[in-house]
Formats: sequence, structure tokens, C-alpha cells
Amino acid sequence: MILEALEREGVEFIFGYPGGANLPIYQHLPEHPKLKHILVRHEQGAAHMADGYARACGKPGVVFATSGPGALNLVTGLATAYMDSVPMIAITGQVASTQVGRDAFQETDVIGATSSVTKHSYLVTNIDQLPRVIHEAFHIASTGRPGPVLIDICKDVQQATAERVDIERLEIPGYVLNGHVDLDRAGEAARAVAGAERPVILAGHGVILSHAEAELREFAEKAGAPVGTTLLGVGAFPVNHPLSLHMTGFMGTGWNLKAVQNADVLMMVGMRVDDRVTARLADFAPKVKTFIHIDIDGSEMGKNVRPHIELVADAKNALEAMTPQIGELHEGRGQWFSQIDAWREEHPLKYTHSNGHLQPQDVLIDMYRRCRSEAIVVADVGQNQIWAALWWNYDRPGLFLNSGGSGTMGFALPAAIGAKFGRPDTAVWCVAGEGGFVMTAQELSVAVEHQLDIKIVLLNNFSLGMVRQFQDDFYGGVRSESELTHMPDFVKLADAYGMPAVRVDRFEEIGPAMDAAERTKGPFLIDFRIDPEANVYPIVPLGKSLNDFWEAPDK
Amino acid sequence: MSEHDRIRVLSVLVEDGSNTLSKVSGLIRRRGFNVHSISVGPSGDPGRSRMTLTVHAGHAEADQVRKQLERLVEVVEVEDVTGEQVHSRELVIAKVAPDQVDGLVKRGAKVLDTGSGGTTVEFAGEGKDVGDFINELVQHGAVNVARSGPVVMRRTA
Repeated sequence: MILEALEREGVEFIFGYPGGANLPIYQHLPEHPKLKHILVRHEQGAAHMADGYARACGKPGVVFATSGPGALNLVTGLATAYMDSVPMIAITGQVASTQVGRDAFQETDVIGATSSVTKHSYLVTNIDQLPRVIHEAFHIASTGRPGPVLIDICKDVQQATAERVDIERLEIPGYVLNGHVDLDRAGEAARAVAGAERPVILAGHGVILSHAEAELREFAEKAGAPVGTTLLGVGAFPVNHPLSLHMTGFMGTGWNLKAVQNADVLMMVGMRVDDRVTARLADFAPKVKTFIHIDIDGSEMGKNVRPHIELVADAKNALEAMTPQIGELHEGRGQWFSQIDAWREEHPLKYTHSNGHLQPQDVLIDMYRRCRSEAIVVADVGQNQIWAALWWNYDRPGLFLNSGGSGTMGFALPAAIGAKFGRPDTAVWCVAGEGGFVMTAQELSVAVEHQLDIKIVLLNNFSLGMVRQFQDDFYGGVRSESELTHMPDFVKLADAYGMPAVRVDRFEEIGPAMDAAERTKGPFLIDFRIDPEANVYPIVPLGKSLNDFWEAPDK
Repeated sequence: MSEHDRIRVLSVLVEDGSNTLSKVSGLIRRRGFNVHSISVGPSGDPGRSRMTLTVHAGHAEADQVRKQLERLVEVVEVEDVTGEQVHSRELVIAKVAPDQVDGLVKRGAKVLDTGSGGTTVEFAGEGKDVGDFINELVQHGAVNVARSGPVVMRRTA
């Protein structure tokens, strides 16, 4: 019954792990060859795979796990998807309805444990609820502001059968979609941007989720406004575009931060305006006279920054409504562009190429030369994530995937696997530090089992790099527990899983190693031994304002 | 601004469900909102309940509570009824000493029962009156007091 419902919803892949409380579902799985089940090695891996799949192809990722520890292992993956608004359906087995609440074997209150990291959740104790619940869950997960929905199904319900119920009509009174755009308000916003002397647009994940990149570009070009993106918005606006400000936030580019801090009108579209974007909130964009906020989730309005003009709407609809109402541009715009150009010259992205060590930027620049816009880059969390965001000219959405809101280490490998299942024709590169990589490295089995063409770029700096950098810069230089010793030989580790790998210590070896990776069908790992002292720049010191960003030192 | 002015009243219509109350209270805790009282009971609609929340907050924060509540699928409708023309009632039930009873009845209390352990009285009224009533009980050493949160409804006229 569950599996038929999933087929009706167009599910292709299920990332899962069987156990006592979901065995009735697994018993019937072989009868449904259209549903391809990917057996993971840990449930967290399943959640990140479903997440990567959804981010790559736009369809909700589906996860199976058993009760108790199985379901609890999903929590980090659910939180990751929830923070980044990724559609996901998690189907967990629960003990029989007659056993619920009696501390039965492998019983956990999964609804209670996941309520704060799911968009919605259901405990199904009766077979008659099931068809409606599954249909509703897919609707809720993938519409509006997307997110993970969990369905906890009691074991006896999994075994029951029922008549087909009519589920054509959905009635969810408490679930209202914000589709309507207030045209007058949209006009007001458009004129505010066009009429500004120093406008800036910041674009977030919402632009990507609503496929509004073309509308954003048209609006920005016609309104003559430069565009920066958040970390999750990377790709929403082409980095090479003359109006691009690249990435914003406390590890954003210098010229972006200068522009934000000097703007008189700031339009924020499809983003949460979180602390990583604003740095010290009291000093965020201090010269702005008009904040404009566009988001499909009304609760984002004024949560951190109170907008003067708010549009609670889908980004695409809002931008479509705005562009025809732009009106006349402010005459001082040329000056603003020259000022931004000057900042771009004054505060470029930079690094020291030859100090005897391999630099992470060397690796990424070589990768970018090969891939251009033809590959998906899935980053882990930490320095590797920021380097991969900054040292690459993403020109469209869906090419850079990472755990932005939740910052979940161990995300990259399973998410890259999921992304490859979702976009089998696109090259997938996984960029990770060795710290995060070993958190979910067991999923290499899945990459090998399915001979997935994934290239794993380990930026191995023998430490928790971002932690070490923070300790050096903000915690008195005390390198407490950030050095990683006794790590495996990653080439041997790959070999143990049955996949090829090479180690790279010197700049000259980058090219041949990358060649080997590209020549190889199936998974390939490169252990890049990078400069252990390499840092991420620019960076705003913790608790400081965006004005106070530090740049890479000239060596 | 007095303390009383910072109390905002939200009337919330929710779908009945085993998880609804915990969803609402979990959200309030998670977002760090300061809830003064919460009362729940069946509404006129079958399958739905009416919650009345009083939030110790300024306007902007109460606005966030409302918006966050509206995100919950279980929540059908949220109204901020602060400052509106509403009837607001709270109920208090107390065990009091026999010599207190006359005075309390004069204030509008109703006797529910009398026994060897004392007399049980009830009193209903606006939050402020109920507060005054309880203060008086406490001054006279009432042994046991139970107080509900407020329930509110818009005035018809």
C-alpha cells in the first residue's frame, strides 16, 4: 500500500535501511521494480543522499528507516534539509500501534524527536489514514517553502490492507500557499530599486528553488542593480556577470560587503537574512533607507531585519510582477558602478600561490578549468565549503550544493551520491575536508556498489581547518583539539572499498591526478595534502560588523 | 508602558491531534517566546480546538509568534485580539476558611461545596479581577488555589 502510493507520486529512488519495524514494507519491495532502493550504510547517509538528490533534480528525496535508532540517525539529515528548505519524505517504521507508549523494543518518540526539524510530520496508526497522509506529505514537502516531512508508520499498519481511497482532492486548511503578488507593492519595490542611488540586490536559495534566475537577471539588468548571493544562493546569479557582487556574508567578497554596507536600498530575495549574512545585526547595511524583503515564508519578514517593503510571494512571481514597473533609473548609477569597480580592484580574492605548500585554491582553479559549468560541486562544511563557493565562477543554479544553514559535516559524500542518482548525466565532484569526510565515509560502499562516477577531492590539511583558523584568530591562538592525527591513509581506505585513488603533495601533481580522475569511469578519490595553515579570506571576525572584514595577508 | 500593556492575546484555531499541543508549545519554547498563559478547549467546529495564548511581548515579537504559529500545518487560524473589543474570562477555584466565605460571596464568588476541610468557591472574571480576588485569598491564607488561563471572544456589539 505504501509502495503503491510512492509509485503514484512518481518516486524513482528510495535511500534506506531495513530493520525490525519496517520489515513489512521491505517484504514487498521486490514486487515494485520501478522503485529503486539504494541500501545505505548508515541512516544519516540516506537522509543526505535524499537531500543531494532533491537539490540536484528538484524532486523530493525519499528515505526509509526503521524505528528507534534507525529513525534517530536521520535527525541530522532532516535538520540539514529543514534549514535549507529541501523537499524530502522520510518514512520511518514505528512499533505496532498497540505497543506505542510502552517502551517497546526500538521504540522512540520519533515525532517528538523530529518535530523541530521537519516541516510537518504524521504518526499513522490506522491504515485508512495512509493514502491521504502520503499524498499530503508529498504536497507539503514540495510546495511553498519546501522542507522535509516525516511519516511514522506503525508496524501493524504496514501489514494492513484497505480499500483505495479517493485522494484526488487535498484539503489542508492549515496549509496556505502564498501565491498572490500584491502588484502595487511590487511596483513600489521595483521603483525603490530603480530610483536608488546605490541599490544592492541579495539573492538566496529561494531564487533557485523557484527557478527565478532568469527573472532575477532581467530585473537586475533593467533596474541597473548589482547582485550578490548568499552561500545557498550561489548560482542564482552568474558570477561572471558585470553586475555580480559574488558572495555576501561574513566570508563574502570584500567588494560585496563594501556594496552592502554602503547601499541606500537593499533588496533581499528568497533568503532568511541570518547571522552569517548580517554579521553584527546592529551594523548591517547601516546606510539603507529602504529594505525590501521578498520571501515565500511570511515569518521571515522582520524576523531579523524589518523591511520597509515586504512581498510574501514566490520569488519568480514577485520578480515577474516587478520588472514591468521599474520606471526611471537614478542618474547617479554610473558613479555607483565605478565605486563598486574600485572596491573590486581594492579588495580582490587572493591567495599566496607558492609558499612551498599545495594551496586549496590551486586545486579548485585546476578543477574549474576542467569543469566550467558542466559539473555539480558538492561541498562539505568548513574551509573547503567556502573555498569551493568563492574560487569558482558558478553561472547557473544547481551546480553548487552544500549544507548552508545547518552546517552539517559529513554532508558532501552522501549528498554527492544522491546528486549523481538525480542527475546521472552530469559530472559530480565532491569537495571535502578529511574531518567531515570520515564522518560519513562508510557510504563509499554505495558509490562503489553502483559504480557512480563521482570524483572525491579531499582537501586534507591534517586538522579541522575552520576550527583551527577560528582558534588562531578569535580564541587566543589555543589550538585545542583541532589537530587530526591517526587518520587513515585515504588511498588505502579507497582501495579497501575497491575504488582507485591517488595522493597529491605537490602542485605539479594536480594535473596528472585530475586527468586520472577524469579518465576513470566510476568513483575516484584524490587525497590533496594541502597547506595546513591555509585560511579562508575574507572573514569577518566573530561578533564584528561586515565593515570589519579581514583580507588575505600579502606574503 | 505598563506590564499589562505588554501582554498580547492570540486566539488560535487548531486541528485536533495527538501532536498539536506539543507542536505549539515546542515552537514557543524553541523560538524563545515568553508565554504567560495557554488555555485549550474544543471549539465550535468538530475536530478543532481553540487555544488562547497570552504572550509577554512587544508588538514585533507577538507578530513573530503569530507568523511562526501560522507556519504549523495544524494551525488553521491565528488572530491577535489584543486591544480588540473582546470578552476575556478566567476562572479560579479555591479552598477557603469558613470565615472568609461571606466576604468572597459578596465579591461575586459562588460556593461549590462545604465540608470539614473548608469551603470550595469559584470566581470568574477578567484577568485583573481574578488577580485581585486571588491576592485577597492569599492574604487570608487560602490553602489551595487553581486558576485557569483566559479564554477570549470578540464582542458581538
